[in-house]
Amino acid sequence: MNRKLDLLQGTLDLLILRTLIAGPAHGHAIAKHIQRTSEELLQVETGSLYPALHRLEAKGWIEASWELSDKGKRARYYKLTREGRKQLSSERSKWDAFVRAMGLILAASERS
Amino acid sequence: MNAIIRKFLWLCRRRRREEELADELAFHLEEEAEGRGYDAARRDLGNIGLIKEDTRAMWGWIWIEQLLQDVRYAVTMLKNPAFTALAALSLALGIGANTAIYSFMDAVIMRWLPVRDPRSLALLQWHSQIGRKADSVVQGASGHFDDDPKLGRVGGIFPYPAFEELQKSTNVFSTLFAYHPSRKLTVMIGGEAEVASGEYVSGDFFRGLGVAPEAGRLIASDDDRAGTDVVVLSYGFAQRRFGDVARAAGQKIFLNSLPFTVAGVTPPGFYGVDSGSAPEFYLPLRADMALDPRDGGERSKARYLDRHYYWMEMMGRLRPGVTLKEAQAQVGPVFENWVASTAENDEQRADLPKFLLSEGARGGDRMRRNYEDALVTLMTMVALILAIACANIANLLLARSTARRREIAVRLSIGASRSRVIRQLLTESVLLASIGGAAGVVVAYWSVPVLRAMLASGTSFTIRAELNWHVLAVTGALTIITGVLFGLAPALQATRVDVMPVLKESRTAEPRGRRAPFSLSQVLVIAQIAISVVLVAAAGLFVRTLSKLQSLDVGFRRENLLVFKLNAKQVGHRPGELPAFYRAIEHRLSTIPGVVSVAEADSALIGDGAWGWAVVPLGHPKPEHAPTGHGSFDGWENTHVLQADSHFFSTVNVPLIAGRVFDEHDRAGSAPVAIVNEAWVKANLAGQNPVGDRLVSFGMDDKPVEMEVVGVVKNAMYNRIEENFPATVYLPLDQNLGVPVEEMTFLLRTSGDPLKYAGSVREIVHEADARVPVTNLASQEQRIEQHIGDEILFARLSAGFALLALSIACVGLYGTMSYMVARRTGEIGIRMALGVPRGRVMWMIMGQVAMLVAVGLAIGLPMTYAASRLVGSLLYGVKPGDPASMATAVATMLVAVIAAGYAPARRASRIDPVVALRSE
Repeated sequence: MNRKLDLLQGTLDLLILRTLIAGPAHGHAIAKHIQRTSEELLQVETGSLYPALHRLEAKGWIEASWELSDKGKRARYYKLTREGRKQLSSERSKWDAFVRAMGLILAASERS
Repeated sequence: MNAIIRKFLWLCRRRRREEELADELAFHLEEEAEGRGYDAARRDLGNIGLIKEDTRAMWGWIWIEQLLQDVRYAVTMLKNPAFTALAALSLALGIGANTAIYSFMDAVIMRWLPVRDPRSLALLQWHSQIGRKADSVVQGASGHFDDDPKLGRVGGIFPYPAFEELQKSTNVFSTLFAYHPSRKLTVMIGGEAEVASGEYVSGDFFRGLGVAPEAGRLIASDDDRAGTDVVVLSYGFAQRRFGDVARAAGQKIFLNSLPFTVAGVTPPGFYGVDSGSAPEFYLPLRADMALDPRDGGERSKARYLDRHYYWMEMMGRLRPGVTLKEAQAQVGPVFENWVASTAENDEQRADLPKFLLSEGARGGDRMRRNYEDALVTLMTMVALILAIACANIANLLLARSTARRREIAVRLSIGASRSRVIRQLLTESVLLASIGGAAGVVVAYWSVPVLRAMLASGTSFTIRAELNWHVLAVTGALTIITGVLFGLAPALQATRVDVMPVLKESRTAEPRGRRAPFSLSQVLVIAQIAISVVLVAAAGLFVRTLSKLQSLDVGFRRENLLVFKLNAKQVGHRPGELPAFYRAIEHRLSTIPGVVSVAEADSALIGDGAWGWAVVPLGHPKPEHAPTGHGSFDGWENTHVLQADSHFFSTVNVPLIAGRVFDEHDRAGSAPVAIVNEAWVKANLAGQNPVGDRLVSFGMDDKPVEMEVVGVVKNAMYNRIEENFPATVYLPLDQNLGVPVEEMTFLLRTSGDPLKYAGSVREIVHEADARVPVTNLASQEQRIEQHIGDEILFARLSAGFALLALSIACVGLYGTMSYMVARRTGEIGIRMALGVPRGRVMWMIMGQVAMLVAVGLAIGLPMTYAASRLVGSLLYGVKPGDPASMATAVATMLVAVIAAGYAPARRASRIDPVVALRSE
């Protein structure tokens, strides 16, 4: 049985921004964090992750720098910018509204 | 803004970022491999190339980079000189022909008048079913009617009182103005005379059009009165005659020896209101009372009051916010009520002109009506040629992309997306098309002036075809569409590959796959053959039309005949002196060594129009609808009338059948005589010998004059070249019983080339009176060629286009067959090794060619038949679907195609089985 869920269109940006709240991280760590925190329900495809990271960087919501990882290797670390924080809170409230709306509709259809 | 700068900086540091991205992904792979082993990590990661590609796309402005990449790559690919040259050449010819013909279409059909806000202009016309034989309110006219398949007879000319009525009783126009073309006038500036034509315009003409003077002032309302001496010159004319247009204003010039003052000059681009005309000067309407006097000017004055004489053309500028429809709704009833009030009986009331308002942005529509069919036909032909050229290049690309299948498969397998590869291939084809397009503009740049000159010699219209931005924009769009069009099919086909088998295949193997009845390249060749046969058959029809026209018997000897005209009255000779003046010149001309005989007449036989009115045997009723007029009389019952002197018949070689020709006794005051032709005898007397009989001629003002028929001559064409000879009556010039002759036509029968005598003619006229310009000097053959100039040009162009189409299609067929033979070398080698004789191999290939041709013809011939019905209006003496033209087209196609297929077939039969098998 495949318990993995497909990511909804557009939610990956939100997940990346949320993950970076905790501090700078490289791509692999971000993917692993999302996977772990979602109890393995969400799996981030590498083919989507790096384009998304670079897109967010191009928009100026995150910025990258080369740092040494815990194991002493050079890795590209991403961190939230001020703009990114603003974006995160607005994306977040959009998401909350969306979840609420979905919940209302699904609950309503159960009653009827 | 910030974002743009950021992207720009990134673009600058591109190479470093490429490395960084590679490092980043390598790091990811290492991290992932730590837990699960390298292979699993690698599998999970998937297509690294694709990830990189997708990620790079996020950097922004990526498309510019990719485009540059693609273009760079395409340039490398196009460095195959034979391929590129062939492709670019056929495209250049295709696009060049399209650009050239389109520039004519632009000039004739589409271009707006160079005036202020042309879109608010409206053209006033009427239409009716006015039967040519029935009585109608249109009792006299100067101008043109056109026959429209839907509307019946369309006229753009109105009586002057109608103009006044519309000005008074309508309010949808902010200005309403009228105009009509002038006859040719003799313009004398500083002692130098030339003949030029212009336009009479009402006082609001320039104000209504919104044209500002280049120098001086333009014609205003109070200029339009009898006795005016104001003239406005066109920019070109003023520049030619005065050098500097600013100097022209205020100058005195003479028109028909009457003094006029140049008030001003129109701006450079302005050419009046008809895209086909080129007035050299503009005069107030009522100047025609002095310049165009008939019967001492009384008739010219009377025209302004005549409610049945149609001659004024009209345009109006709509008030802001008024639509054409609203204006039609208001003006229509006003005109139709007015016209109803002019009807005098029920027959006239039965078919009154109906008002027709159309958009005037493009000016008058005479030239459009005349050339639209021809231009649309030519445009279709060149579009088809371009289609053939496109098919050709698609075929070449197809062959090449098959050769590049491995390259494309490799690119797809290492992560290039299909759309990316298609984009790359399209870049190549658009680049190729751009080379072709640029070369095509060069082709058009050379051919437009040539075509314009050819057209100018054959027509009375001025065609302002040029490569303007409008035409070039269309060419640019055409180029890109062409590139995408011929690139798309090969690109789709090339990228629709299953990667693995292709990579495993040996390099020479046949591509495997399902067998369609025809491959894409064969379909393209069939389409080319089908289109070519249409074009070749069309050319056949037009060439046969021309040869019919050229071989028609004109009834006189057209060779070695020089024709020219003089108008001594316009430089001041009094009417009474004219005959003696002309007679003296005729005498001098006959003394030129080599001139066999000289004659005078009031018109040349071909290309001058013709005078006509009712001429019937005494006692016969006068035909109902045979108004006196000049021009062509389709279906009217006029007899053509030509006034000629006693040398006329011997000079043009129209043989006398019975009686006598004119002699010196037929002069003013002697008993009126006439000579008739066979057609007139047949039409009026059922062929009885009329010599000695009397006839009645209703010349000017329908005044009947009785004459004695003194001779019968054989038929000759008069006015134009057509199937049947017109019924014609000749009157002696000296008796002056037709229209008073101002302008005299001289005809010289010469020994040898008539144009050799042009110099002597000019000298003699100059000696007689230096002010009189020699006009319309040409040989009779030139005049006839000019008369059928449109048909000549059309036949030549269509034959040229057919040849072009045929050669492009043959190159295509040759390429396809050569490619097929090359691909099947191995197979053919095996067949030959097994004992199949060379002749059989050759027939096998030719059989393929024959099949393609057969299918192409089977599709093309019905298309040809259908298409030939559409061009029926352009044919003469040839029926659409003419079997001879169709048969010629089929034969031409067969010969061309066999020639194109022969070389590859021969090459196949020469294959050495040993070499072929070894190369496998």
